[in-house]
Amino acid sequence: MSLTIPQAELLTRLLDVASLRHQVISHNLANVNTPGYRQLEVSFEDAFTQVLGKQGEASALRIRPRIVEGRDNPPRQDGNTVDLDKEIGNLNKNAILFSTAMQMLMSRVNMMRSAITGR
Amino acid sequence: MHGNPLFAAADISASGLAAERLRLEITANNIANAFSTRSASGGPYRRQDVVFSAVLNQRLGGIRSGLGGVQVAGIVEDMSEFHRVHNPGHPDADKDGYVTMPNVDLPVEMVNMITASRAYEANLRAMQFFRQMTEQSYGLLRNQGG
Repeated sequence: MSLTIPQAELLTRLLDVASLRHQVISHNLANVNTPGYRQLEVSFEDAFTQVLGKQGEASALRIRPRIVEGRDNPPRQDGNTVDLDKEIGNLNKNAILFSTAMQMLMSRVNMMRSAITGR
Repeated sequence: MHGNPLFAAADISASGLAAERLRLEITANNIANAFSTRSASGGPYRRQDVVFSAVLNQRLGGIRSGLGGVQVAGIVEDMSEFHRVHNPGHPDADKDGYVTMPNVDLPVEMVNMITASRAYEANLRAMQFFRQMTEQSYGLLRNQGG
């Protein structure tokens, strides 16, 4: 069906994942001084691109983001694995990803409206 | 608005802000009482510390993610030894001239103050980003109206 906005589902999924990731990063930042806290991450892109390449968009859209414990950071003395600077970096990256997807969606909505109104 | 899943990210950041602010207050209280030789419980002032715990799987963090930020598990007293200082002129000195002083160490309090204020800034940044992202989403609505 070509009447829908192109790639709208992909873009909204990307927005969903970005806002979930923002929550997870905020959660990590809120717990930066909680002893024994394990840093959390959103796992989505790797599985998504893999399925997208092999089986196409419809199957890829069935992939749901998962919240997993991060394994990269060594624990501090209090057992906490949050790295404040890394989280701030991720926060920035994620916000850029979100606004990119939002801009693309917005330009597609505008295109569709131009086509409908003929202006 | 509290507990609305739409604003879960703001609630999470707010919990972090509140927790770090409490930590700053406790640290300030420790510094203010670093030389208090009398307290309500009789002896010198005992240093206090906050205990944080992560909130998970509660509705506060939104239905989908189950993330609820941080909560203050309690304020505990530091049971380490009091410092003893030789100062015979002090009104609370014992018969050997020693005064029992609070177990507050200023360098420790300073480090706590720096980590708490950095963490506070980080939570504030996360909240600002959330605001920006939400405003962008509203932009989509605005565009469609016009």
